[in-house]
Amino acid sequence: MRSLLLVRYGEIFLKGLNRPYFLRALVRKVQQSVEGLHAQVWLHDGRILVAGFADMDEAMARVTRVFGVHSVCPAVEMDKADFDALAAEAVRLMADISGSFRVVARRSDKTYPMDSPEICRELGHRVLAAYPALKVDLHHPEHVLNVEIRDKAYLYVRVIPAAGGMPVGTGGRAALLLSGGIDSPVAGWMIAKRGVELSAVHFHSYPYTSERARDKVLELARLLSGYCGSICVHVVPFTHIQTEIHEKCPEEYTTLIMRRFMMRIAEQCARRDGAQALITGESLGQVASQTMEALNATNAVVTLPVFRPLIGFDKSEIIEVAERIGTYETSCLPYEDCCTVFTPKHPATRPKIEKLVESEKHLDMEGLIAEALAGVEVVTVTG
Amino acid sequence: MVYLDNSATTRPCPEAVAAVTEALEVSWHNPSALYSPALAVEKRLRQARALCLKAAGAGEDARLIFTGSGTEADNLAILGHLRTLHRPGEVLVFAAEHPAVSACRPEIERLGHRFRPIPSLRDGTVNLTALEGLLGADTALICVMQVGNESGAIQPIQDIARLRDRLAPGAALHVDGVQGFLRVPFDFRHSGAQTYAFSGHKLRGPKGIGGLIAAKGHRLQALTLGGGQEEGLRSGTENVPGILGLAAAVAAYPADANARMAALKRRLWEGLQAAVPTARLNGPALDSPACAPHILSASLPPVRSQTMLTALEGEGVIVSAGSACASHKQKVSETLLSMGLTRELADATLRFSLCPDTTADDIDRAVAAAGKQWKALSPYVRR
Repeated sequence: MRSLLLVRYGEIFLKGLNRPYFLRALVRKVQQSVEGLHAQVWLHDGRILVAGFADMDEAMARVTRVFGVHSVCPAVEMDKADFDALAAEAVRLMADISGSFRVVARRSDKTYPMDSPEICRELGHRVLAAYPALKVDLHHPEHVLNVEIRDKAYLYVRVIPAAGGMPVGTGGRAALLLSGGIDSPVAGWMIAKRGVELSAVHFHSYPYTSERARDKVLELARLLSGYCGSICVHVVPFTHIQTEIHEKCPEEYTTLIMRRFMMRIAEQCARRDGAQALITGESLGQVASQTMEALNATNAVVTLPVFRPLIGFDKSEIIEVAERIGTYETSCLPYEDCCTVFTPKHPATRPKIEKLVESEKHLDMEGLIAEALAGVEVVTVTG
Repeated sequence: MVYLDNSATTRPCPEAVAAVTEALEVSWHNPSALYSPALAVEKRLRQARALCLKAAGAGEDARLIFTGSGTEADNLAILGHLRTLHRPGEVLVFAAEHPAVSACRPEIERLGHRFRPIPSLRDGTVNLTALEGLLGADTALICVMQVGNESGAIQPIQDIARLRDRLAPGAALHVDGVQGFLRVPFDFRHSGAQTYAFSGHKLRGPKGIGGLIAAKGHRLQALTLGGGQEEGLRSGTENVPGILGLAAAVAAYPADANARMAALKRRLWEGLQAAVPTARLNGPALDSPACAPHILSASLPPVRSQTMLTALEGEGVIVSAGSACASHKQKVSETLLSMGLTRELADATLRFSLCPDTTADDIDRAVAAAGKQWKALSPYVRR
């Protein structure tokens, strides 16, 4: 008898001929997640099993964060021959349970002497005999005692919901524009959940933004990497571009011109990394640079697709996800990002692209971008 | 690296490092034990205690309770005294006090006392006229710091004690000497104070050690319970390395340090005035008797202190924005606002703090860096 985790996957079931490819990727990601716990991970009979770890809670916390995993059940694997031992273990598993329950048995080994209804009846009877306060409810039970008779017997009660989505790496790679705020880590998490590997681009405005602000962004990347594996963060020196814009462009357009620089530079970083899309944390109408006109203006300077998974989210909904994935607290650390000193009092909300293009003519666009790219520092973070 | 943030902490002097090392390697026995090595340690603690008492101008009848920090000493002085009182009264607390004192407010109120702030004058000193109006038969305790940690203003402790003697003779006076001990002369015996707190790491001693000097007969109740060390007022095995390190730092404090620091502070302010046309001195004028020799608060508008801080660090000069204890909170200092600074000025304020090791070269390099960075950064302000 031993404890193990029974890992169930969701959407991969819908795959056809290429299901093995996705499954292999998922097994690899689960293996990576339990690295250092001395656990074995293997694919067996349509499920992934994890065993051999000493710390069940730690193993479970790690596996439930793997994208592609639908749920995780802490289970007991035992010899199926001795039904009395099986029943005794079932009674032990139900020890902390109160309220109603039912037993669900699955029997893929059709040579087993009892059929599924018999197993259910007998186990239900023994559990009830041990805990008379429990009630049986076959339709809406509060708890389900699951018994699977395969090459061995598997017993479990708890089903822990996991991250869902697709295994990271199966959906390509994209570059996330990572500020220090609440939105961009959530946007990155949402796209990574669809199986996308992330790299990140951060714009650093030394001395208007401090070393602590930079560290905060690296910490956010580290938190994200707990879900999606290591992330290359491109730290782009951005001060010169901002001072040039400040000096030479009309005030109301400075934010959008800055955003257009960011998109251009992020696209170049993305291409260097083999990424096929950009990700931003923009949400329609949240601030002046996120109106539909403004988004058109920033889209116009790049050819890669721009993913904006938060586009229809309210701020409160974004905060809810940020709290759930554990980035909110770090995002709220009060270190200035992209320097409020350069924020115009009245930014244009309905910009004309022609005016932006005209303003940009006052700047040495190519020179400034080349200078910023030459100064990029790449930091790889791992959760 | 030029380090001018000595009010946050100081680099331990070689004598303190040697004393701590010796205590860890040789004098590590528990001073409460009965065998001879322990007795030797106890004797050295007695000498250390006497040395610190003498340095604060306390007579042999005064007590010194070693604590884990200046904050703990302040807490013990305030809450430890209030717990001995049988009827509720008013606790008058200077508006610019460090959180070690001001954060006691909820507990003061929970004990049934009323918390009344004593307003500040524009130079950062206590408004004595206002204090006169606040003092009365109900006054239980007055808390005033020896030197303002943000303003560098020396508080008129003897004037306050005289007012107390006239209007509220039953009230105790607590002086937080964390920023003042040794750097500004203090004669505990004739100060009129009942308690005086100080900290080791602000005067080139180790961290984790502070002390509270209490007048003979002044009533205090322990906040920590245990083995009854420190006359029962601070249980826990004595921090021998901390105490011996602190005593070594006190003994090594150069006699001419304060005069040298005062001259360097003048050099710093005159240099800043010449290098930065907008420079504004906060706190007492340099020739005022209220001007401490080691803390200079200056606003360099329009450059925000956070930006200047980061830029100066890039030039190898470390200073702080406002008070370092609060600077990670990114809030404009209430103390600076209470001294009549506008929000913009307060947000552009730096604190330069000196120690006996500061040299003229340090000051000149800091001035040159501030001038250079102000010139570079001042054009880029919010329009």
